[in-house]
Amino acid sequence: MLTKFETKSNRVKGLSFHTKRPWILASLHSGVIQLWDYRMGTLIDRFDEHEGPVRGVHFHKSQPLFVSGGDDYKIKVWNYKTHKCNFTLLGHLDYIRTVQFHHEYPWIVSASDDQTIRIWNWQSRTCISVLTGHNHYVMCASFHPKDDLVVSASLDQTVRVWDIGALRKKTVSPADDLLRLSQMNADLFGGVDAIVKYVLEGHDRGVNWASFHPTLPLIVSGADDRQVKLWRMNETKAWEVDTLRGHMNNVSSVMFHAKQDIIVSNSEDKSIRVWDATKRTGLQTFRREHDRFWILAVHPEMNLLAAGHDSGMIVFKLERERPAFALSGDSLFYAKDRFLRYYEFSTQRDSQVIPIRRPGTASLNQSPRTLSYSPTENAVLICSDLDGGSYELYIIPKDSIGRSDFVQEAKRGTGGSAIFIARNRFAVLEKSTNQVLVKNLKNEVVKKGTLPIPTDAIFYAGTGNLLCRSEDKVVIFDLQQRLVLGDLQTPFVRYVVWSNDMESVALLSKHTIIIATKKLVHQCTLHETIRVKSGAWDDNGVFIYTTLNHIKYCLPNGDNGIIKTLDVPIYITKVTANIIFCLDRDGKNRIITIDATEYIFKLSLLRKKYDHVMSMIRNSQLCGQAMIAYLQQKGFPEVALHFVEDERIRFNLALESGNISVAVASATEINEKDQWYKLGVEALRQGNAGIVEFAYQKTKNFERLSFLYLITGNLDKLSKLMKIAEVKNNVMGQFHNALYLGDVKERVKILENAGHLPLAYITASVHGLHDVAERLASELGDNLPSLPQGKTPSLLMPPTPVMCGGDWPLLRVMKGIFEGGLENGATGAVDDEEDAEGVWGDELDMDVDGIQNGDVDDSLQDAEGADENDEEVGWDVDDLELPPELDTPKTSGNARSSVFVTPTPGMPVNQIWSQKSSLAAEQAAAGSFDTAMRLLHRQLGIKNFAPLRSMFLDLFTGSHSYLRAFSSSPVVSLAIERGWNESASPNVRGPPALVYDFSQLEEKLKAGYKATTTGKFTEALRVFLSILHTIPLVVVESRREVDEVKELIIIVKEYVLGLQMELKRREMKGDATRQQELAAYFTHCNLQTPHLRLALLSAMSVCYKAKNLATASNFARRLLETNPTVESQAKTARQVIQAAERNMTDETKLNYDFRNPFVICGATYVPIYRGQKDVSCPYCTARFVPGQEGNICTVCDLAVIGADASGLLCSPSQVR
Amino acid sequence: MAAGPDHLFNLRNNFYLGAYQTAINNSEIPNLSPEDAVERDCLVFRSYIALGSYQLVISEIDDAAATSLQAVKLLAMYLSSPANKESTISSLKEWLADSTIGNNAILRLIAGIIFMHEEDYNEALKHTHAGGTMDLHALNVQIFIKMNRSDYAEKQLRVMQQYDEDHTLTQLASAWFNLAVGGSKIQEAYLIFQDFSEKYPMTCLILNGKAVSCMQMGNFDEAETLLLEALNKDAKDPETLANLVVCSLHVGKSSSRYLSQLKLSHPGHVLVKRVSSAEDNFERAVQSIA
Repeated sequence: MLTKFETKSNRVKGLSFHTKRPWILASLHSGVIQLWDYRMGTLIDRFDEHEGPVRGVHFHKSQPLFVSGGDDYKIKVWNYKTHKCNFTLLGHLDYIRTVQFHHEYPWIVSASDDQTIRIWNWQSRTCISVLTGHNHYVMCASFHPKDDLVVSASLDQTVRVWDIGALRKKTVSPADDLLRLSQMNADLFGGVDAIVKYVLEGHDRGVNWASFHPTLPLIVSGADDRQVKLWRMNETKAWEVDTLRGHMNNVSSVMFHAKQDIIVSNSEDKSIRVWDATKRTGLQTFRREHDRFWILAVHPEMNLLAAGHDSGMIVFKLERERPAFALSGDSLFYAKDRFLRYYEFSTQRDSQVIPIRRPGTASLNQSPRTLSYSPTENAVLICSDLDGGSYELYIIPKDSIGRSDFVQEAKRGTGGSAIFIARNRFAVLEKSTNQVLVKNLKNEVVKKGTLPIPTDAIFYAGTGNLLCRSEDKVVIFDLQQRLVLGDLQTPFVRYVVWSNDMESVALLSKHTIIIATKKLVHQCTLHETIRVKSGAWDDNGVFIYTTLNHIKYCLPNGDNGIIKTLDVPIYITKVTANIIFCLDRDGKNRIITIDATEYIFKLSLLRKKYDHVMSMIRNSQLCGQAMIAYLQQKGFPEVALHFVEDERIRFNLALESGNISVAVASATEINEKDQWYKLGVEALRQGNAGIVEFAYQKTKNFERLSFLYLITGNLDKLSKLMKIAEVKNNVMGQFHNALYLGDVKERVKILENAGHLPLAYITASVHGLHDVAERLASELGDNLPSLPQGKTPSLLMPPTPVMCGGDWPLLRVMKGIFEGGLENGATGAVDDEEDAEGVWGDELDMDVDGIQNGDVDDSLQDAEGADENDEEVGWDVDDLELPPELDTPKTSGNARSSVFVTPTPGMPVNQIWSQKSSLAAEQAAAGSFDTAMRLLHRQLGIKNFAPLRSMFLDLFTGSHSYLRAFSSSPVVSLAIERGWNESASPNVRGPPALVYDFSQLEEKLKAGYKATTTGKFTEALRVFLSILHTIPLVVVESRREVDEVKELIIIVKEYVLGLQMELKRREMKGDATRQQELAAYFTHCNLQTPHLRLALLSAMSVCYKAKNLATASNFARRLLETNPTVESQAKTARQVIQAAERNMTDETKLNYDFRNPFVICGATYVPIYRGQKDVSCPYCTARFVPGQEGNICTVCDLAVIGADASGLLCSPSQVR
Repeated sequence: MAAGPDHLFNLRNNFYLGAYQTAINNSEIPNLSPEDAVERDCLVFRSYIALGSYQLVISEIDDAAATSLQAVKLLAMYLSSPANKESTISSLKEWLADSTIGNNAILRLIAGIIFMHEEDYNEALKHTHAGGTMDLHALNVQIFIKMNRSDYAEKQLRVMQQYDEDHTLTQLASAWFNLAVGGSKIQEAYLIFQDFSEKYPMTCLILNGKAVSCMQMGNFDEAETLLLEALNKDAKDPETLANLVVCSLHVGKSSSRYLSQLKLSHPGHVLVKRVSSAEDNFERAVQSIA
């Protein structure tokens, strides 16, 4: 039983839950009806008008009404909003036992000791039916939740079911005359509105309670024979199904549970019993020491029960509703019903993972309590209270997401709590010995350890650490070091929530949240008046938590506030930005979007991220008094200033933040004395004399003003002020100012004018104004006062201030963090224009200068027809090095090694590689350079290895990584293997990982194309050559890729040849003919279309300039055939053709016949026409005139021209 | 585990995981038993050696110090002057032959390390194979890995696991072993280093371990990130530089800067040696093919 709320009072005889609000009515033996909020735990109201015990009470389903019935024979209907009794229904002639509203009609049913049941219409306030038949006290009567039935229980030992269908018809269709007639007859003859349908006999003593099942045709009753009976009924009859025995005294009340398949009863034997409604067995018994139970109530919608006893009542539930869950990265694992389910936050996909064992319903509250998930092992630990605390370990199979109903045989054990603490390790608490058992996934104990404090639960606290909880404190314990890393006094902690970075932890107790660091250094404590339910950290380090009815936040400094109100409790699982993921009580995942502005704003203030604060203010989605008060309280009045429109508040904030200029503006706006006065005070504090003066002037506060002038030494203004005082006839002020000014004459004059002649006389004579003194003396005559004797008078002159006028050095006012830094200058986008190089066409003085470097189609076209090299290469490995002979281990005389024989060293990995492979690249990686070279020589006829040097070295260098193992000992080098996958078996060596791969070459090819387009020929040539030099050392996996590699060789070869010729052409400026020839040959290399166009354009312009118009027009025609996309190219070409048509001749004779197909010799750059003899390079397939045979190929710079070769071998698939 | 708290736990851990400076800084531990104090000093001086402060160790340990410390001093002398290593080795052999001190675990450990440097695994194992401390067993694992005898390494590992499976050295040794045998085991090595990185402050050693695991799994991009992080921690760490050379080659970036840095700071590193021997090898191969 989970007690939610308890009251102490007189005996409780009646109870009723409110449908929507967290309220319960309790009617007491003393005559009082109490209205409680069981969530907040407060007494909302009390209604005290009945005389004597009130036994029945009931809330109306929708109206703000409740009904009560008592021993004063009265039924009262109350309005809880007006706190008043609306009216009283009189009619019963004895104690009233129960009262109940009908769920639909304006009816009340009441049961009374006068042996009748009455049905009342509370709108017409009349009794509409009296049900007679019981021949003893009727102890209870209630409406059926749907049908027109009433069930009643009586001390006459029967339970009766009444049919009130006729009554309903009468009320519902009063217009039906025929019916009404018959009913009038019926009324006359003693009421057949309600007839007894069934009389259930079976109890041996008086029956105290009977109630309907909410959905099924079942009735349960409890009686003084200490039995609970279950009855079933159909259309025609009702019969006893079973008897539940167990109570030791009169059964007071019995009901079906609204949501679960159980029956709850209570009795004067001081116990509440829970029964399984299907198996009809007792599930659990809750006892109280001294209190007899009198009444039960079930909540109509929620999983709550209430019971009234001799000294109060309790609100409770039978089972926890929190689903057990565990979080891991983007996924949530949780237990629902008898399945482990999986929810992915990013996709919001929810799926069932594996079935878990359903605890037998032998007793309640055995469902999973906590869940721990290990991502590395993909395993879950499910803890429950079964057998006094036990756990089950399930391994989630890889292909788990299925609907298999097969329950995996879980590994089990007993223990208070069990959690994963590391890979392949979980900790189980053994409460009896206060030890923790560390187990592996096989459920074997690996370690045992005693805990530092008496612990009743353990939680995860980072790898290898435990958070141990006792009644009043928590500690973090390092299992390996056996050290307490931190401890903290806390109320009883229920849940522990770690932040994502594991730096902070939130400890949730019933009414308290404590935030601490990972070493349990206390950060802040929050107290809640209602229960704390769950929480999660957001990405910014704000803790978002829920109570029974709120979602709230807690900032790192402990500031908290409400984000949202909740209708039903939820359990937060994860928070990302403004989205809250949670589980509800039905185990459904829900998403709640919240407005995070407020706490993000406060957090930004706290973290001093003022730019962020500023932008939030500007976009101002938040304001309100609460925020201003918060800002003021937190010492950010200057921030609050930005929110406020009201001038008065603005003024106050400005003063508080010391922002005088804003304050002055506001004060001017308000223009009230009070504000000016305050402004003056603040300005004085800051030393801003100008504003002080201004403020004093505004308030016409002359005294202060004159004092200000005195201390600022502003004597001019002071005397002016004296004049003003004179005008205003303010003698006192005038005198003051004169005193400040040290103006004796004036003073005397003032005194004289004011009629203080003696004073004037003394003043004048003391200060040596003798003539005036004499004049006054004569006026005074006899009343001449005596002058003080023996003292030397002196004139008090105000000291001259050090600084005159102007402001004093100002008090440093905290400069608004928001002043300045607000300009968000838009940075101009930097346009990076590609500089087009005009290399291609700059020699032609026709308007061809606007060549654009666009539209190069980078993708290699799927050219078919690269000749397949199908020769199998027979390869023998007999020329490989064998591992060196090894020394036989020598036994030593040393005692320790007498039995120990050092094993012979194994074979290094690179030797294994070298033995296994027939690919040159792998041999190079293994360090067998000579083998690699021999292979290349044989396969491709390569003789010049110098260009391959860096490739060889890189392959070799890249084949091992280095691991520092034991300190100060030699480094371990580890062979890196190619094509690793997670199911590779250990100790079987794969081929070496190579630093070159085919995709890199494709990247390079693109770079080469780009360099060609922009006319950087040297660069392009370098790139293409490097591709050509890398290919011999590239390894690909499939045959298809082998063909691609071969195609690549041809493509690159064409470019290399073409670029070599073009570069050559540029070198020889003098020889125009040769230049034309080379330009012409270039157009016959197999290039990408954009490049071909450029080559044609160049050849055309060269020939045109050399007046070889016929040839030029040929190029122009070819150019047009490519459908040039750049209009200027086409235009030029057309112009050339036009020019050539007029004069179809060639100035010089070229060794170039475009009608006759030819290839170009790679060394001499002459055409080799079809039918002429040639030799070719075995590697790059460049063609040469026969005279070049035996030389190193000038195109690839690697192979010997005309050498024998078996062909490229670059894939293990070719060898297999 | 029933015993009291292990005072040297953190110190040892820091040492094993390569947080040498942290180990030295936090070596002031009160209330140590004499044996623990000697072990503490050994760890501190070995940390200094690992940081390359050989002279400090040589001058700090005087002749009256315990045998273990003398052994540590021997290691410092061996590493500090390769020229005089003959004399160091001969005195080492002398001590080992002395039956009163020859059985000292630290002495045997140092002997193992020195003979490993000499690539005389036979001699090394002669002194270390009997084990006795976690350090010795871990060293054995490494020697066997070096000898490419993972079967023997695995046996040593089993011994360690039986003794204490969660010990840092056991975990480390499993990682070395897993990396050496390769295949599916590499993931486990990665997870071990991952565990360390979650549990303890990051060190170059842990980062390199992770990076090496990544490289072995063909994940060079992640390896590069890890190595650059390691380089941030210690710009001169030889293994970081060496692995960066390898990793850069695989991701298609230039490795020459790291290589020349390594050549300058650690001319004796395996990678440097390998590269120069490969260069010679290449010339020789070109000659032979011509």
